[in-house]
Amino acid sequence: MPKLLKLIDDANGTSNGATNGTPPQLEPAGQWTPESGKGIELSVDAEIEERFLAAPAIGIEFPAFNDGRGLSQAVLLRSRHGYQGDLVATGAVQPDILHYMRRCGFSAAVLPNGDVPDQQTLAPYSDYYQACATEPEPVSRRIGRGASNIPT
Amino acid sequence: MYRYDTFDQQFVDERVAHFRSQTERYLAGELSDDEFLQLRLRNGLYIQRLAPMLRVAVPYGTLSSRQLRMLAHIARHYDRGYGHLSTRQNMQFNWPELAEVPDILADLATVQMHAIQTSGNCIRNVTTDEFAGVAADEAVDPRPYCELIRQWSTSHPEFDWLPRKFKIAISGADDDRAAVNVHDIGLLVRRRDGETVFDVLAGGGLGRTPVIGLLIREALPVRHLLTYLEAIMRVYNRFGRRDNKYKARIKILVRAMTAEGFKARVDEEWAHLKGSPSTLTDDQVAGMEAHFQPPEYPERPGATAALAADRLKDADFARWVRHNVSPHKQAGYAIATLSTKETGTPPGDVSDRQMEAVADWAEAYGLGEIRISHQQNFVLPDVGQDQLYALWQAAQAERLAAPNRGLATDIICCPGGDYCSLANAKSIPVAEAIQAQLEDYDYLHDLGELDINISGCMNACGHHHVGHIGILGVDKKGREYYQVSIGGHSGNDASVGQIIGPSFFRDDVPRVIRRIFDVYLAQRVEDESFLHCVRRIGVEPFKVEVYAKAA
Repeated sequence: MPKLLKLIDDANGTSNGATNGTPPQLEPAGQWTPESGKGIELSVDAEIEERFLAAPAIGIEFPAFNDGRGLSQAVLLRSRHGYQGDLVATGAVQPDILHYMRRCGFSAAVLPNGDVPDQQTLAPYSDYYQACATEPEPVSRRIGRGASNIPT
Repeated sequence: MYRYDTFDQQFVDERVAHFRSQTERYLAGELSDDEFLQLRLRNGLYIQRLAPMLRVAVPYGTLSSRQLRMLAHIARHYDRGYGHLSTRQNMQFNWPELAEVPDILADLATVQMHAIQTSGNCIRNVTTDEFAGVAADEAVDPRPYCELIRQWSTSHPEFDWLPRKFKIAISGADDDRAAVNVHDIGLLVRRRDGETVFDVLAGGGLGRTPVIGLLIREALPVRHLLTYLEAIMRVYNRFGRRDNKYKARIKILVRAMTAEGFKARVDEEWAHLKGSPSTLTDDQVAGMEAHFQPPEYPERPGATAALAADRLKDADFARWVRHNVSPHKQAGYAIATLSTKETGTPPGDVSDRQMEAVADWAEAYGLGEIRISHQQNFVLPDVGQDQLYALWQAAQAERLAAPNRGLATDIICCPGGDYCSLANAKSIPVAEAIQAQLEDYDYLHDLGELDINISGCMNACGHHHVGHIGILGVDKKGREYYQVSIGGHSGNDASVGQIIGPSFFRDDVPRVIRRIFDVYLAQRVEDESFLHCVRRIGVEPFKVEVYAKAA
């Protein structure tokens, strides 16, 4: 059974592996209206329209687990369009891609067979080099890796 | 050279644990072959014809003696006593056990090394001039910017699942030794009006569609380097083709959009990213540059005179100096290239013993640093001129003293069908057969500067398109054939070679190459190089000679 996995813990912005069971109801962008109360499902190559931003949830369907276009879609929705609702990865969601998805702004993912990955897979790194959706500054701005901090 | 801080070390340590868990999940049947393929490729692990192959990252080709000793240890302990220097300045091991790879990575992490993103459809190891930081003709040392890009591209949230592999090279010297024209992104770093700036080329590449990169931005200030790269990567990640792997590189996208169209799209994207937190601060740039400040060079009074005396007394040494020693920024010092291209040894293959020896020499005759060149040779960047003779004698004993840098026997060659499961044909025996007929030094020297590049398939790991003579292995109905091109070049005035005609059997290749040499020697004007001769007279005279007599 597909299961919804939360990627963002509301308190601290990190993954907690919590599942709330039911994937959101999504409609293809062509059929969706704001009145439906449902979320929109976007393809990885869809142009983002301003009207979509009213949807309570946006699903981005990964056609293959190694197709990175959905990651760019998420970054654009969050950073360019300021989308604040739920952003859900759907389709070919593979557990090892979840930590990229989280950093690109996905708040949840639909696990196709419902198996919840272990913590090592969900959060393999305690920190990363780059700025991203969950971390506004790159590491070198946060922990002082400048001229004064060369190890001896 | 760059030294990890606690964050870098934490990241590679966590990478080891991460890859160990992925390997265990695969061995336990929790990951499919296809899933594990994508994951292991992002950590440099291929499954090859005979065994797995692990490609270890040597960021921009720079190693310390300690790191090279660790590579020797890995060759001895986990492999069959040798490694292979790749054309991306990395080191490959051909015989590791899959289950032992996490242990190899753990060993590498103890000396600040890894195998992250050395394969797969992601941003690969950034390459540069093997003489970076020491070359006499260098305007700006490119290494700080290589390291900034290495860190930014490591497990990037958005750009680790691209349509295809992505290669970036930087050059900061007058003479481009980094082949920036044939990279997905080529960067030329310059100092203009006191500011560090980059000229950005995009869409160059080899493979099935060899093309020269197009200039899409001039004089990009260093603070904008990463945001501008992000703009390029986003356009490529979104719009690069994913339906056909042969049309998936950025070069195809750039040409489909036209250079102007691509540039406009990148600029549009960049308008949103410019000034974002990925913008480099002065402190970040200065901090990184501080890692690459020139070392304290002890003064070497009389070193230049001592070298002159050594050259006079030993003609063989003088010959090696002439080809394999390059000018250094610092008076009294020189850059020495230790050629792996002795006839009878696969180009780029080095034994654990040779690695240990090179590590020792780097300390005894240099300042403890080693480079790997994209021509698959070792380079010692800081040798006292008065120490070159001792280095040369030691190198002779280890078969690393061939006086052939840049000559026709300094062949760039991929592992080919002997090892690689992608190859259509073998490449190592072809290199050896060509080298074997060039044993006469006077003849070799008379041919002068001549790059021969051999690839066992269209993936072009041997960069055959930019060889002055390029040889490509092709498969025709299950038989190995070789296609020959001439006139390619990878430096400042880069060009893609032209195929001279139908392909040949392997046994015919040395004879064909010999005839190409004959035409050159007969047609050249004064001391004109092979490349200039081909550019002047064209392919036709070569074609006529090769095919008339071969028929």
